[in-house]
This record gives sequence, C-alpha cells and structure tokens, in this order.
Amino acid sequence: MFGTQSKRDLSLEIQSQIPILRPSIHSRRANITVKFQDLYGFTVEGNVDDANILNEGIPPVLRPKVWFSLSGAAKKKSTVPDSYYNDLIIAVEGKVTPATKQIDHDLPRTFPGHPWLDTPEGHASLRRVLVGYSFRDSDVGYCQGLNYVAALLLLVMKTEEDAFWMLAVLLENVLVNDCYSNNLSGCHVEQRVFKDLLKKKCPSVYAHLEALEFDVSLVATEWFLCLFSKSLPSETTLRVWDVLFYEGAKVLLNMALAIFKMKEEELLMANHVGDVINIIQNTTHHLFDPDELLTVAFDKLGFMSTNISKERKKQEPAVMAELDQRLRRLNSSNLDENS
Amino acid sequence: MATTGHNNLNAKLVLLGDMGAGKSSLVLRFVKGQFLEFQESTIGAAFFSQTLAVDDVTVKFEIWDTAGQERYHSLAPMYYRGAAAAIIVYDITSADSFTRAKKWVQELQKQGNANMVMALAGNKADLEEKRKVTAEEARAYADENGLFFMETSAKTAANVNDIFHEIAKRLPRAQPTQNPAGMVLVDRPAEGARAASCCS
Repeated sequence: MFGTQSKRDLSLEIQSQIPILRPSIHSRRANITVKFQDLYGFTVEGNVDDANILNEGIPPVLRPKVWFSLSGAAKKKSTVPDSYYNDLIIAVEGKVTPATKQIDHDLPRTFPGHPWLDTPEGHASLRRVLVGYSFRDSDVGYCQGLNYVAALLLLVMKTEEDAFWMLAVLLENVLVNDCYSNNLSGCHVEQRVFKDLLKKKCPSVYAHLEALEFDVSLVATEWFLCLFSKSLPSETTLRVWDVLFYEGAKVLLNMALAIFKMKEEELLMANHVGDVINIIQNTTHHLFDPDELLTVAFDKLGFMSTNISKERKKQEPAVMAELDQRLRRLNSSNLDENS
Repeated sequence: MATTGHNNLNAKLVLLGDMGAGKSSLVLRFVKGQFLEFQESTIGAAFFSQTLAVDDVTVKFEIWDTAGQERYHSLAPMYYRGAAAAIIVYDITSADSFTRAKKWVQELQKQGNANMVMALAGNKADLEEKRKVTAEEARAYADENGLFFMETSAKTAANVNDIFHEIAKRLPRAQPTQNPAGMVLVDRPAEGARAASCCS
C-alpha cells in the first residue's frame, strides 16, 4: 500500500523508537521518544521518514497512538477494567439530565455541515462521548465548548472510546483545574495569567489594549475553552494539540501570546476594540501554516522562565473573591446554576 | 456607552439569553441577512458591527453576542459593562428561557447602566404551534420593567431589523438642532421613556 524503499517500516520494528521533534523549534530541540511497547495494540499502516517527523510534527497516521500515549490517556484507561467505557455508555443510556438536554441541543450545532460529524452516526457518537463524560464527572457535567473539543478528538482518534479517554485526560490532567466546571473559575485564572504574560512579553501592545479598554479574555475565552479548535484552521489546531499533549496547558498561553506577538504592529495601529477583534480573528482564521504560529510561539517568545503554576496560584484568590462577590451581589436574584 | 460624533453615534449592544434562544441567529439575520437552521454554539462571545441610519443620525452598533449556557454567566459583566443597549432574548417555545430572560433583566437592572436601552425579544415567533410563552405575558412583564418588547423570528426575519431600529431611536443622543448645548446628562433613568413599550 505504501512504498517502503528508503523508509523505515515502523510497524515492523517493535523495539525501535520514534524520535519526534517538537514542531518548529530550531533553537531548543527537545526530543521526545515514544517507545513502541508503550503504545499497546500498535500497528502502523504507513511509513514515516525522519524528515516528515522533523518538519511536520506528529505524522497524522501516528497521531492517534502518539496522543493516546503522550497525554496519559493510555495510562488512565489502563487503571480501570477494559469494559469501563462500554459499561458507562450502557448505564447512562436513556437517562435525561440538564447536561444531556444541553448536549442534545448542541449536537447539530457542532461544526454543522461536516461530512461525518453532521450525520446521525456522528451525532450519536459525539453524544455518547459527551453524555458519558457528563456522568463520569458530574461537577463538570457538560460545558459548551467541550462539544468542539470532543468532536475534533473523535475525528482524530478514530475510535469513540479513545476519544472519550482523551477528553477525560484533558480535563482531569492536562488542562488547569476547573476550566469547565461550575463558574469556569479555572478559565478566569488562565485569563489573568495570560494578561500578566502579555504585559511582560508585549508591554506596548498590552498598554495600548488597556487604553482601548480591550480585555484579552474577549478573544482568549474561546481559545482556552475550545483549545483553539473553533479559531484556528484544523490542521494548525492539531499541531497545537501535538504540543499541548506533550508540554501541557501552558502551551495554550504560549500560542495565545504568539498570536498577539505576530500582529504587534497592526494592533498598535488599532484605535477601537472592534479593530482589535477583527485583526485577531483575521489572523487566527487564516493561520493555515502551523509553522508560522509555532515558530513565533517557541522561537521568538520563550517565557519558560516564568513559573506558570506559581502564577496560577497567585491569581486564584483574586478570581475566587471576584466570583464570590458577584454571586453575593446577585444573591437576591437567585441565579443558580441549573445544570 | 453611546458616544456621539457629528451625526454619528457608536453604541455598544449586548445580547443575553438562554442557550439556543437564537441570539446568534438574530445577529446573523441583522448583520448579514442570513439564517442558518443550525447556528454554531457561541463560546465566550462573538463580536459584530453594523451601521443603521435612523432619522438624521448614523448609529454604529458594536454588538456582543454572548454564550448562553448558565456557567458562562460569570463572564457576562465584561460584555454588558458600558453597554448602551441590551437585547434579552428568549425562545417563545421555551418557558425556561423566559425565566432566564427575567433573571438577565434583574441583573442588568442591578449592574447595568441606568440609561441602558433594554429590549425583550421573544424569538422563534414562526413556531406558533409550539408556543409556551404568550405575547401578553411577556409584554406585561416588559411594561412593568421598563423594557420594550417585540416578538421576532430570525428565520423569517420578522421584526429583526425593527428591534435594532427601535433601539437606535431610543438611544440617548445629542440633538444639535433642538439642543445646542449638547448631550444632557441625567442622573437617574428617565422613567417616562423607560416605561414606554412598543407593540410587536
């Protein structure tokens, strides 16, 4: 099916290792090594040459297996009986909760028009993953945004069960805590951390945006909750996720920063909130070349010296206080979460 | 806040309401004249702008279309802060969405600008056979609370431009001919104007 000359047939070399270089990091090449034995059930229907791995991130044919291993999903799955997912799906079938109603509402509104997602099978598959997860973690239940994340996972992972475990590992291990739960407090924290980073890395843009009363979360909320799947072309999103599963949630901050950095000069010329939004959206929607973004994110920035977890800890009390205060103010309106 | 140039007025407008009530569809209809049976769910918020000529004034709306799910509520103040107008949208086929709309009204009354022009939109008016909220009930609520009310349909376009037009007309503005001194600043909402309602 595929030519094998001058290429290594990976599926035959059980003991060999695939060196995967972080995409487009010329200054700071970090090898990550995925051992074949880690990727259980591993069969590769294709060949990969080193040049592809070097220049193009994780090859699409390997992506499901590499993501599954890298992210910790494989490990997470291995701690429960093999039948976990099937049992869960059977157990929750036919149950109706506020979360399932919201999921049903969003199924046809998730990448509408997609040749597979927007079919009865696509909807049913996405529904099982989201509903299953809403029962696995009832604190999260269903949060709008997860529909896009789960949909893209389904498209990449091929099997529904693997997509489910990827979603689980994302929410439980990879991303910051409470990103999707209750009042999105984790997302609020992330916005503040991002704002501080922007102030450090792009001080003039930061000052200009402040003067325009542009809050970065006007654009970054969608980025952090959909992991860019709704903002970037999908090929670029997948490359971002390659790095996300390897390096963790701080990658999202790095990408967000890179987007602002790329358009620094244009943003400084903007004199209205609407202009800023248009510049940013025009940029993200047309980032068809992943290297353009990743090069800025890793070569031209490089804020790894900042201790992100420390920054998050620092912001948490302020976010909690703000959310509390808000709830108190609205107390008499009895604005309870209905999910 | 609404700010004026010569005969130009910039007005920040926010749409609030339950998920699936049709906020994004109303905006899409108003801004692009389009309708999609299944509109992508909005995460965070989406921004649009659209210009309307009303009388002698050009009103440029800067529209914030927000996410409807309850937990996104904690982000809302960022969008309604400084807004000159709000459209609170519910779905006439869903009583729950009407309850949510009332909560939004309460919040805006507490937290929003005193002079904010508020409109209540009963959307999906084309789905008469599935109606759960009567126009009378909604109009009575709107009257009591100083909103103006219209039933709209993003699908058929009924009343969509009208609701934005009506908001544009009601925005406080400088009137150079009648009021050469410029904009009159009021401390309290003008009760009479706020209580006026509009028929659908």
